[in-house]
Amino acid sequence: MKNIGKGIYVYLALVIFAPLLFQDDYYLSLLVITGIYAIVAIGLSIVMGLTGQISIGQAAFWGIGAYTSAVLTTKYEISPFLALIAAAIIPAVFAFILARAIAGLSGYYLAMATLAFGYIIQILISEWESVTGGATGMIGIPSIDFFGESELGMYYLVWGVVTVVLLFSLNLVESRVGRAFRAIHKSEIAATSMGIDVRKYRLLAFVVGGLFAGLSGGLYAHYVGTLDPQPFGFHESIVFITIVVIGGMTNIWGALVGTFVIEMIRAGLTSLSDTFPALSGDVDTIVYGAILVLIIMFMPEGLVPKIQSMVQSYKHRRSTATVVVQKNKERETAR
Amino acid sequence: MTELLQYIVNGLVSGGIYAIVAAGFITIYNVSKVINMTQGEFLMLGGMFTVTFIGAGIPYFVSIILAVLLVILIGAVMQKFIIGQAKTNNPISLIILTIGLSIFIKGIASFFWGKDPYALEPITSNDPINIAGISIAQQSLWVILTVIVILIGLWYLTEKTLLGKKINACSVNQQAARLMGISPAKMMMLAFAVSAGMGAIAGIVIAPLNVTSYDVGTLLGVKGFAAVILGGVGNPLGAIIAGFALGLIESLSAGYISSGLKDAIAFMVLIVVLLVKPTGIFSERSVGKGGL
Repeated sequence: MKNIGKGIYVYLALVIFAPLLFQDDYYLSLLVITGIYAIVAIGLSIVMGLTGQISIGQAAFWGIGAYTSAVLTTKYEISPFLALIAAAIIPAVFAFILARAIAGLSGYYLAMATLAFGYIIQILISEWESVTGGATGMIGIPSIDFFGESELGMYYLVWGVVTVVLLFSLNLVESRVGRAFRAIHKSEIAATSMGIDVRKYRLLAFVVGGLFAGLSGGLYAHYVGTLDPQPFGFHESIVFITIVVIGGMTNIWGALVGTFVIEMIRAGLTSLSDTFPALSGDVDTIVYGAILVLIIMFMPEGLVPKIQSMVQSYKHRRSTATVVVQKNKERETAR
Repeated sequence: MTELLQYIVNGLVSGGIYAIVAAGFITIYNVSKVINMTQGEFLMLGGMFTVTFIGAGIPYFVSIILAVLLVILIGAVMQKFIIGQAKTNNPISLIILTIGLSIFIKGIASFFWGKDPYALEPITSNDPINIAGISIAQQSLWVILTVIVILIGLWYLTEKTLLGKKINACSVNQQAARLMGISPAKMMMLAFAVSAGMGAIAGIVIAPLNVTSYDVGTLLGVKGFAAVILGGVGNPLGAIIAGFALGLIESLSAGYISSGLKDAIAFMVLIVVLLVKPTGIFSERSVGKGGL
């Protein structure tokens, strides 16, 4: 815990007191959706940032989680909280199997395998009509009763989960496992020769990523109340990648910041399209595409690491400046 | 039996398109080590520009030529000002960059053309031809003919001309090529132009078989990429064969299993092949690390 830094206190204060500032249900719902996306993004940043792998199929785990929870609560009338646990475990099992299968792949092969997995899951969701309702989807998924079925209750539940996931991930980064992750990212060969079981850690990253995505999917299903296969495909997987890339792949906080940036853009575009109907197409993808291109070309490290290094160089400049001033004073007194 | 033959013909038509997309991927990859995920958007742009030009009253074949030239220009500009400028050779960064470009193009297309599908007139009439009980759309024959001409043209360009030798030289050793007075930057731009042109033509000939809209490129691009991976990155012949194989798998599973599941089955075959042979069926020049 001690390695996480002071940022966590600022974060906690913001999370606890944000509903006081945004009492309107619209803003609360934006924050809930932001939290739901942030959970997936944190998981993906472990896969992409820490072990240097790529998953262009993260929306599939999200979808498996959402449908698991939805089916269990509507068809078998299991309590949403138990269903959420299943929604986390089942995608993690899928992630384990997928990661075991593609353990030998990297680079473009890994990208293709995860892309293919994403398509397969989305197609299976739309085709398995008896369970998932096919293309028409499911309705009437019960909402979660977390101190009352309110927007505020959902807000605290979702951000509670975000906080747990965040603390877990920040601790993971600073642990032995996190050091192994970073060693793998720098050089797999060097890591292997130091006795790090590369396959095991890459597998672990995938499973954690799948678990978080599934949990978030379950929350999404209960929050929205209806499901159809459309959001669980390529487009959303790219949105998750955009989030992680904006914030900075190598930084867990980056996932959180990236989610805020993307959700603000999305909300902005939605309200703009009310006044300019021409913006209603897939115009959001223009923005995401431009962001991806600009970030990779001009700021490949992402927002959070960039800001951190700027703050550090500012501090450094200030401290050297004070040292110079002090030395000048000393010289004058010596005279 | 006629049923089977019918499925095989259908499979060869879509497989031919995948083969062209895959050949486009490899043409670019071999010179610049970039997997260009915008490949599918070239097909979309080719089809959509043609529809637009025809709508503006320009004659059919002139529209096609204009559309192809325009897409070639877009491909070259994209390489020169964006992909060529990126200072990374990490395959994951490059893939994210080109995915970004591809959704950018798709978004712009949805802005201009809206989400409605457009129809393109076939080259010759709409009536299918009957050969031994199999009905083949005349356009399908044009597709197959185009595929053959493009692939032979590409082979001729890369194997038999001086320009092709220059491109090959850059893919083998850029440093040495430069010492021989070849400009790798120019060759990369040329590779993008060639791929964009091939993609545009493929997009135009398949548009009449179905409808075309702003989002047809994504899945075609992914299928082409799948063919590249299936054949082994960097291996043109392997990719082309894999493209046809993918088309056949899809059309046979659509015929005998379920048309809704055909893409899922094709992708499952891909994953299974990767399990058995992590570098594709026909393997490749460099292994494992995304070829880098």
